[in-house]
Amino acid sequence: MLRTTLILFIAVWAVFVVVPVALLAVWSFLEMKDYSFSPGLSTAAYAAVFDSGRYEVTLRTLRIAGLVTAIELGLALPFALWLAKAVRSSLLKAMVLALLTVPFFVSLASRTIVWRSVLSRSGLVNTALLHFGIIEQPIDWLLFSEFSVHLGLLAPSFPTMVLPIFLSISLIDDELIEAARDLGAPPAKVLGDVILPLALPGIIAGLIFTFVPLLGETVVPQLLGGGRVSMLGASITSLLQVLNYPVAAALSTLVLGILAALFLALRLIGGGSIAAVFEGMKR
Amino acid sequence: MPSRADKANDAPALEIIRASRHFGSVRGLDDVTVTAARGEFLTILGQSGSGKTTLLRIIAGLDHPTSVAALRIGGKDVLGLPPHKRNVTTVFQHYGLFPHMSVGQNVEYGLKLRGVGASERRSRAEAALATVRLTGKYDRRIHQLSGGERQRVALARSILTEPDVLLLDEPLGALDERLRLDMQIELVELQRRLGMTFVFITHSQEEALTMSDRVILMRGGRIAQEGTPRDLFERPCSRFAGSFMGVENIIGGTVASFADGMAGIATPAGIFHGLWTGAAAPHVGQSAALLLRAEKLRLGATASADGFEGRITARIYKGKYIDVSMDTPVGPIHARAWTDDDLASETVRIGWSAGDARCVPAEG
Repeated sequence: MLRTTLILFIAVWAVFVVVPVALLAVWSFLEMKDYSFSPGLSTAAYAAVFDSGRYEVTLRTLRIAGLVTAIELGLALPFALWLAKAVRSSLLKAMVLALLTVPFFVSLASRTIVWRSVLSRSGLVNTALLHFGIIEQPIDWLLFSEFSVHLGLLAPSFPTMVLPIFLSISLIDDELIEAARDLGAPPAKVLGDVILPLALPGIIAGLIFTFVPLLGETVVPQLLGGGRVSMLGASITSLLQVLNYPVAAALSTLVLGILAALFLALRLIGGGSIAAVFEGMKR
Repeated sequence: MPSRADKANDAPALEIIRASRHFGSVRGLDDVTVTAARGEFLTILGQSGSGKTTLLRIIAGLDHPTSVAALRIGGKDVLGLPPHKRNVTTVFQHYGLFPHMSVGQNVEYGLKLRGVGASERRSRAEAALATVRLTGKYDRRIHQLSGGERQRVALARSILTEPDVLLLDEPLGALDERLRLDMQIELVELQRRLGMTFVFITHSQEEALTMSDRVILMRGGRIAQEGTPRDLFERPCSRFAGSFMGVENIIGGTVASFADGMAGIATPAGIFHGLWTGAAAPHVGQSAALLLRAEKLRLGATASADGFEGRITARIYKGKYIDVSMDTPVGPIHARAWTDDDLASETVRIGWSAGDARCVPAEG
């Protein structure tokens, strides 16, 4: 039974995951001539990635996605801890969770465009600061800058970070927290020795669910970057629009390679403790 | 951490004076005073909702009383102190073992928090594991252990920091019966050997009787009775205490007479006498109850001073004895017959000696 399911899973996974990725990798070693693939392999696409400045776009994307993910983690951890362990009323808990999903009811573009009227030279922030005499000239780096892109990315990716962490903290038996306190652990130790290690699967899930979609994000950089903050998603889209498949494939393959390297590093650093946590969940 | 000199003083291990804990309008704990001498095995007995767990959480510092006159552990005032500043540890109901740590890491966690070095931690943890008969399990994972072994790990972890008071929150509840009986004996032996003060929370009168130096029976946030196991079993002070301590037959009535500690209780089947074990002397006419344990009843021809006729409704074979249910003028009565000979006829005379009967106030 397990064997059959496993074989079935691997087959489906191969068709829908492995084959597209493999094709992508193959494409990245092809060349285009007159809008069709020419025979023979070449590394021209990779050369194009580095020559055309798309390499810098990749690095910038990784940096922005990484920083936004780190900020999300810093915000989500205390929030999830509060929601999972400090909120006793299940009604309040349900309401807060529902509020977290509200952003999904409105399209990302509509939510993002609103930031323009807040951050622009004549927007809310500048008007208020000018009015109270805190500044004399409108601040112009608020909009169409990396700052506004970071800010615009924060709210949409908060739920994907907070929900898995909330779930994993909720699963920690209160008795374990009380046992740690009882044995003499001050609050910081309870957090570091018991809550964080046991919440690790949720934290890792939150990091992946937040970081990976950020790499492909197109709407926010386009609307709040104002053409100055070019990120990978838009870069690949524009390549596809001009039917430059090999370079688009090379760029995607490069990102996949970087992601694989990151996960490998994560495994090497935290692999043992993650495995121990999963082992510990066997009751 | 109290120094050795502190530990040598004569203060009781635990003193809670007049503690109350209100949850909204519910009185979880209502003006309760509990003290435990050093090295005592004190059992807090009660049903769920009796306040016993609230009491334990207040001692541990996991909950705080609404009002209290004094709260001292090992002679040290701990009122308002968080759990990590109290020299008390708890063996939790579901053991509270950290699943991401090995057995050894769990056991020595308290020492690690106190800044004890790794090698000393390890040797003391291994010694504690040996104390609870888990030698060589230091590197095991928690999920590899059986329920009884987990229980022992939790014990080892809690005794390692040498607390003034060890709290045990229904620690045997999750074990199967055989293991529970073994652990009862083991716990008592461990307590004697360490000379440590144990405060043991349970709902099982059997555990309370077999393990404790002293028992506090709780009901509705108050102390219903306290005394030695023998006091509670043989001299229950109220109808509730009698029924909680397993008295099978409780016959309601009113006090007809009282002299020399013996009361006469008027029941629908006549006036019967028994030792008055209520706290205050009764007055005639007060409503009261006659307590008769099933094993003290005699069935059959021999006419005794006290007794009445009953019609047998059920005989349940229990091996060592036969559980007999009867219909009587005072309602259903349960007795134990040791042979079938007494049960030949449908109606049978139920008798007992007045010395085996107890009389208590109907309530309170």
